[in-house]
Amino acid sequence: MPENLSRLAGEDDARSASGEGAARSTLPASTGPAATGHRPADPPRAPSPPRRRRRLLDANDAVLARILLAPTFLLLLVIVVYPVCRLIWTSFLEDSLTSGLPPHFVGVENYVSLATDPEFWTALTNTLLITLITVPAALLAGLALALVANLPFQVRWPVRLSLLIPWAIPLAFVGLIGGWFFQSDYGVVNDLLRHVRSTRIIWFNSGWLSFMAICLTITWKTSSFVALVLLAGLQTIPDELYEAASVDGAGVFRRFFSVTLPMLKPSIAVAVIFRMITSLQTFDIPVTMTRGGPGTSTVTLAMYIHQNTIDFLDLGYGSALAVVLFLVSMGVTAFYLRQVSAQP
Amino acid sequence: MIRSARTLFVLAMLAALPAQAQTTLNVFMSSALRPEVMQQAFDKFEAANPGIKVTPQLGGATSDLQAQYLNTVMSAKDSTLDVLLLDIIRPAQYAATGWTLPLNQSVGDPAKFLKQYLPAYAEADLVDGKLVALPAFADAMFLYYRKDLLDKYHLPVPKTWSELAKEAKTIQAGEKNPELQGVSFQGAPIEGTVCTFLLPYWSMGKTLVHDGHLTFDKDAALKSFALWTGMVKDGVAPRNVAEIVTDQTRKDFESGKAVFAVLWSYGWNLFQSNDSAVKAKVGVADLPAVDGGKPVSCIGGWQWGVSAYSKHQEEATKLVRYLSSPEVSTLLAEKASLLPVFPDLYKDPAVLQAVPWMAAALPVVETAKARPVTPRYDEVSNTIRTQTNAVLAGSETPEEAVNQMEARLRRVLH
Repeated sequence: MPENLSRLAGEDDARSASGEGAARSTLPASTGPAATGHRPADPPRAPSPPRRRRRLLDANDAVLARILLAPTFLLLLVIVVYPVCRLIWTSFLEDSLTSGLPPHFVGVENYVSLATDPEFWTALTNTLLITLITVPAALLAGLALALVANLPFQVRWPVRLSLLIPWAIPLAFVGLIGGWFFQSDYGVVNDLLRHVRSTRIIWFNSGWLSFMAICLTITWKTSSFVALVLLAGLQTIPDELYEAASVDGAGVFRRFFSVTLPMLKPSIAVAVIFRMITSLQTFDIPVTMTRGGPGTSTVTLAMYIHQNTIDFLDLGYGSALAVVLFLVSMGVTAFYLRQVSAQP
Repeated sequence: MIRSARTLFVLAMLAALPAQAQTTLNVFMSSALRPEVMQQAFDKFEAANPGIKVTPQLGGATSDLQAQYLNTVMSAKDSTLDVLLLDIIRPAQYAATGWTLPLNQSVGDPAKFLKQYLPAYAEADLVDGKLVALPAFADAMFLYYRKDLLDKYHLPVPKTWSELAKEAKTIQAGEKNPELQGVSFQGAPIEGTVCTFLLPYWSMGKTLVHDGHLTFDKDAALKSFALWTGMVKDGVAPRNVAEIVTDQTRKDFESGKAVFAVLWSYGWNLFQSNDSAVKAKVGVADLPAVDGGKPVSCIGGWQWGVSAYSKHQEEATKLVRYLSSPEVSTLLAEKASLLPVFPDLYKDPAVLQAVPWMAAALPVVETAKARPVTPRYDEVSNTIRTQTNAVLAGSETPEEAVNQMEARLRRVLH
């Protein structure tokens, strides 16, 4: 086995000399052409236009660039920067519409009551658990689906379409569908289980069964998104790699682990980041499936934010919760990105 | 000649337009609260008030969904909506947020004015001296029962919950239908479940709030839980009661799958419809009491408010005054069997001819109790519904739930 690997690697080196290497290995491929492609573009052109004119044009270009970027920048300022700053500011206020009092500054009081609020900790734990369970699950299921969809079928559209459908259904619908699937009287799941067990399972009577039902539904819904991203990645892997690996005697599994998986890494990174951020914000599916029940056992952080701001009209506390969700998302994403980029 | 006459006519019409300027009033209401019957009232108002057009804006089917929608619209100070139809549990919140226009000026002395309505609404709509909204129609929870099945087994209409459980068991055993539920009530984490918890609690003579202070009785709360979980354990109520929402109770009873149902008044009309499997087999009665307690119901009902951000407050007030009049209350009772807000109408021959059981409904709506009146009602409701749901699901012990409930209610009500 090490022999094979070194042969593959050795060939890699040999070929890169002939210019094919750039397309072959992932990381050098991404930095290679960018670094080399930049250089030849500038110097040959430089002498051709008159010097003075070029400088003028340069100045104009810079101004023009700023003018062209200004609307985007302003738009971002209005729709991203301002709301985020306002949210952080509100989180330091006592701002409850039902109190009848004007908003006033209370420092970190909202954060203190948050730390001692058991329902907040339940919601945070649930959110992190959903992320820990559904992201890897959706990745595995999505990878399997992508591999199937990438097989050389005669007619490809039925497979691709069936991949697109779960992705295209709105989250709230998926939650309602999931709710009916696991409903104890009329649900499909219990109907199937009837052949195996005599007593029916009441999924929504148990905290952890409800939780698992939600995780399954989220995995079903989101694995098609992962599959679409990975399918795009699979299609960029050149066939020669597989041919070369076959010539070297690599079997199906070897080809998968030594060619497919390494080449797919950038796509996996993208899919996982998107999946992680959306799973930290999980809202629609548990709301429509269980409304957080039984009790508070399936409440997520996003649901708890919604409850405090929209139902209870407690904007200060709701903002503090939202800031926590923001920080958690940032933290998890930063950690993951560092892990991914640290790998050679 | 003809041509110039026509031109003159068109010009005259154009000149007359500004004087007849149309004001459009947008009325927010639930799609489930008989908009087609409400439309008849709007038509009459439009006929009597030329220049005002009334457009219904239909919102979500449940009180919870409508409240969420209105909370976002009203906190944005949106002026689109002029008139709002509010659930009885909301006026206190609207008084605190200032989202409705106080109607004190248009009625003179509000306390005196409200005397013509059922007492529960006078209490709910007058908050800190502000007349927040005017009563639209009444509602309360009733006991629906299968008249045919009670007759078949020679059983009386139950007066207590334990009688109900016993009769349900007899009928379930006799019918030998595993699908037949003894009683259907609401246990999902929704507003109706708040009433589920409060019915036995109130029947023991306990209150949740008295003079603005929390008077939570742990013992009574435990007994209330025990009553419902006992019914589930005995097979009288379905094991999946924690999944049941209000309309599921209606559907189960309507398709003949339950002997008894605890439900709002809207069920009656639907049970008598041609699609119903229990048409002409249904009776309505007071809700049972706990042993040694008093029968008590949970009061519901809807209120008309004028948006504080409306640009047509004068016209909107006029419309709300009309919609809360005996004329409209009669129309809603006759055409949609929505309960009147005027006690006299329950004895009105025309109303009784259309909806005979209304005579029996008066004592129920007169004695039905109101859920706590507080601007932070949503927090109270959330606490009660989640804890009750957890106990009914069996995911939390009643003792735990009662402790949680008290701790959380104390944060809100003091």
